[in-house]
This record gives sequence, structure tokens and C-alpha cells, in this order.
Amino acid sequence: MSEDLKIRVSREEGEKAVFVMRLNGSLDANTQSALEAKAKEAIDSGAEYLLLDMSAVDYLGSAGMRGIHAITNLLSPDDQSMRSDRLKVINPSPAASKIFKTLGFDSFIDIHGNIDEAIAAL
Amino acid sequence: MQLKVRADLGQLHRIREFVTESAEALGAAPTSFDDLRIAVDEAVTNILTHGYGGPGYVELDLQAEGSDLVVRLRDRAPSFDPRLAPPADLRPPGERDTPGGLGVYLMESVMDEIVHRTIECGNELTMTKRGVIGDGGSSVGQKDG
Repeated sequence: MSEDLKIRVSREEGEKAVFVMRLNGSLDANTQSALEAKAKEAIDSGAEYLLLDMSAVDYLGSAGMRGIHAITNLLSPDDQSMRSDRLKVINPSPAASKIFKTLGFDSFIDIHGNIDEAIAAL
Repeated sequence: MQLKVRADLGQLHRIREFVTESAEALGAAPTSFDDLRIAVDEAVTNILTHGYGGPGYVELDLQAEGSDLVVRLRDRAPSFDPRLAPPADLRPPGERDTPGGLGVYLMESVMDEIVHRTIECGNELTMTKRGVIGDGGSSVGQKDG
């Protein structure tokens, strides 16, 4: 994994296979593939829902958004849009939030303030 | 302030740090740092992925010109004006007619002016952020890399 982005993955207790990916660092063209690889690993090990905790993301670029789109495709292979109900973004940092808003992606990606709120919405 | 590097994607983090340090040293408002980092990161990513198709020489120069902060990026890749790329389609990816364009859209969103010029051995991209230098600004020369 790139040193610029640390990713910690854990499974939430409960009936649904919900995995939380906690991102710490920069999500750019260099780290996009590390994010996708880690998500694929989680999905291969049974994750049906992924929650991306982006509270510690200090930089998000368009490549990072493409990485998030790639994850929605992995979770919902029959739907190539980003409207997957299996991926939620948790508490994005101001830097990440700005990119979601500037690109308008906050209108079709579910963003929640905390994990409990996101799980309740599944 | 100037940075000359044979860049690859692994250096994007360092390049963004250089932008922040330079903008601070030139007296730019801290509220402009995020926008400057976004513009330079997207521009360098475009140069490396679409221009060179891999690592390549990049020269980055930040200067204060009056109350404006001007970023100049030079490369030796084949001539390409990013503003001539198809405009970004901001519908969800699966519903778009044309993929891509998000990087250029971000650059145009956060900067006030972007000018591309073909130079003898490559490209020069000049990006201006207006009114962010506090007291007239200054220009500092320094080479690195």
C-alpha cells in the first residue's frame, strides 16, 4: 500500500456483511489503485456493504473519485453508475467534502455523519 | 519558487507540499492553499498520465504578480491543451456520454484563468488565482531537484 494513504478495514457486528474502510492520508492518482485493491479484498472476503470513513482524508482528487466509482462497480456490477446503495461515505473531511460538492457527486453518493447513521440507512 | 523534477505519480504528495510551502512563502491567503493544490495535482496528473503516459520532466513555478498568484507548469510531453478536452459530464458515471474530464473541470473551478501555450519542447500551462496575495506579493527564485 502507498505510504501516502493508510487504509484500515474492519467488519461491523450484525446480520449484514458491513465492512468499514478507514482512510487516512491522500486519495489521488497515486493511491487510487491501493484503495481499489483493498476494497476488492474486502468484497472477496464477503463484504456486501462498504462504508468509507473519509474523516482523515487530507486530499481528494478526481482520481480518488474514479477509485470510489470503481468500488461501486465492484459492489454493484450490474449498475455502472455511482448510485450503489451498498457504498456509503462517512463524515468526509473539509478537503474531501469540497470535491464531492464541486463535482456534484454529493447528489448521488450517500454521505452520512457517522457509522451508526449509515448502517441504519442500509 | 521553482521545482524541477522528473516526476512520477508517487511524487504528487511532495508536489502538493511544495505548492503549499511556496504559496505560504509568497504571502498567499491560507484559504487559497486547497485550490492551488487541487489545480496543480490535477494538472501534473494529466501531464503524467495523458502527456507522457508515465514519468516525465515537470517544471513548476509559483510567483506572486501583484495581488495574483501565478502557477506555471512546463513539460516536454507532446503538445496538448487540456482545455480542449471534451467538457466534463457531471452526471453519474454510468449515465455519461463521455467519460473523464473531471480533472480539468476541477482545475477550472478553482482557478480564475488557465492558459495553455505550446513551447519549443513541450507545453506551458499558466494558471492564475486572483486577489490572494495580501500586500502586493513578491517573487522568490529557488531551484530544487
